Amino acid sequence: MHLTDVIGILVETVVLGSIYGLVAIGMTLIYGTLRILDMSQGSMVMVGSFVGWGVLVVAGWSPALAILFAFAITFALGTFTELISVQPLMGRRGFDFEMVTFITTFAVAIVFANVALQVFGPFQKNVSPVVSGGIDIYRGVDLSYQNLTMALVSIGLMAALGLFLARTRWGLAIRAVAQDLDAARLMGVPVMRLYPLTMGLASALAGIGGVFLGAKFFAYPGAGDLPLLEALIVVIFGGLGSLPGTLYAAYTIGLIQATAEVLVGTTWSLPILYGIILLILIVRPHGLKGRPEEARL
Amino acid sequence: MNGAPRAVAGAEPVPAGRDAILEVRDLWSGYGDTMVVRGLDLRVPAGQTVVIIGPNGHGKTTLLRTISGLVKRRRGEVWLAGERVDGRSAEYLATLGMVHIPQGDLLFPDMTVEENLLMGAFLPRSWRKRHAALEHVYGLIPGLRERAGQRARTLSGGERRLVGLGRGLMREASILLIDEPSLGLAPVAIERVYAAIRDIHAQGTTILLVEENFTHIGDVADIVHVVEMGSIVRTGPLEELSRDQTVVQTYLGTL
Repeated sequence: MHLTDVIGILVETVVLGSIYGLVAIGMTLIYGTLRILDMSQGSMVMVGSFVGWGVLVVAGWSPALAILFAFAITFALGTFTELISVQPLMGRRGFDFEMVTFITTFAVAIVFANVALQVFGPFQKNVSPVVSGGIDIYRGVDLSYQNLTMALVSIGLMAALGLFLARTRWGLAIRAVAQDLDAARLMGVPVMRLYPLTMGLASALAGIGGVFLGAKFFAYPGAGDLPLLEALIVVIFGGLGSLPGTLYAAYTIGLIQATAEVLVGTTWSLPILYGIILLILIVRPHGLKGRPEEARL
Repeated sequence: MNGAPRAVAGAEPVPAGRDAILEVRDLWSGYGDTMVVRGLDLRVPAGQTVVIIGPNGHGKTTLLRTISGLVKRRRGEVWLAGERVDGRSAEYLATLGMVHIPQGDLLFPDMTVEENLLMGAFLPRSWRKRHAALEHVYGLIPGLRERAGQRARTLSGGERRLVGLGRGLMREASILLIDEPSLGLAPVAIERVYAAIRDIHAQGTTILLVEENFTHIGDVADIVHVVEMGSIVRTGPLEELSRDQTVVQTYLGTL
């Protein structure tokens, strides 16, 4: 392996890991507060990719507008998804809440995917690079400004989420609900309004991730399938509900995938990635950072 | 129940009088088919500290959890400042100024002490005054300021209790419900907790406090009720009840 390979891998790790982190961090936020695996997060990526295509290619507007629109639209969709597929099941007894919401959110995702199929058709829409140029980091290892921008915006958004959760009234309330529901209610936190907002926020981050993934790959009705799987793996791998664990896992997975891509090519990168994940989970079933019942926001 | 507005049979329920912040009428509550609170009546007059004592497992904690909306009542009425509130959510009752400092503290374990306190000021009106409230609580409860940045899960039992108390003082309370503040604490810690409660009491806050026995409530209790099997069996001033040998022996074992 040459130094150019190593640097190429590191660059791709940072880019991929940051976008994975952005998509998966919402999933962690939702698991932490609602204790559900939200299977509609993939469709938010898909919607984001179409919003990106629509704003950048069809309308010819700026990337900032694409991000803004993706945030607004997927925030609304996420809130809506919570209200129709999770909220009606709350407070009822006699069933496995986590399992049933796994199915109901998945059902919503299928509906979204088929609506997209009807509206946009099955073909991949190419989002040609909107930010041109790049920097030659080291002897032909190129970091495009587009990749750089996506990585920086992803990292910036994750940092903003961290600040939001640490410093603001509603951010504290989200963590409070995650850590002790009864106590949060005694403080006056309106939990039934907080849940849809949390899912909206998480979906909005996935939606922006979708703009990026759409620009890196394509926009199409199945654009959320692989990201959903990857987000699930990042979340489980990082320890369910643990934000630092999610970031750790996102970059680890980005590193494994980038390494496999450079060394053996794209065909084998996914099988190798999942093989390694299987091994790690057998050794550490609670993931990299999670401890049973202890991972909290 | 002197002056309780339920004397006229068949009349419309009259809201609690101006002098009673909290009124509980024929309250039944519990878990599943087991009723733990069984037909309990209670009045908490404004500015007073009412103490309920009784052995473990006789419904004291469930009573407070039902009043604050964490447990759904099966039957009966709860009135807060003239508004009927049974069946309302805990988060709604919080907006009416009900502050419940629960058993086991229910702190947010992965938040710092200061973040826990700030959550006590979550409601918009209190949030605007949170910095002043923090100063007030740090001034009132010694030792908290030094722990401000420490995670709640790493605190000792006594410190946790003080944080729970402090969190309850971060907003203005129409009534403060406190569940067994002395439970499981070393004597020194109990003294600190009760010193804080005495201060709150002296400021005129209405308090409903639950304890297992008379030991610590000496200088805070205005009225004492003895609870047994989920309803109140004796009521009176502390001096009278604590000197009554039947009360002490029948309901409390030893003093």
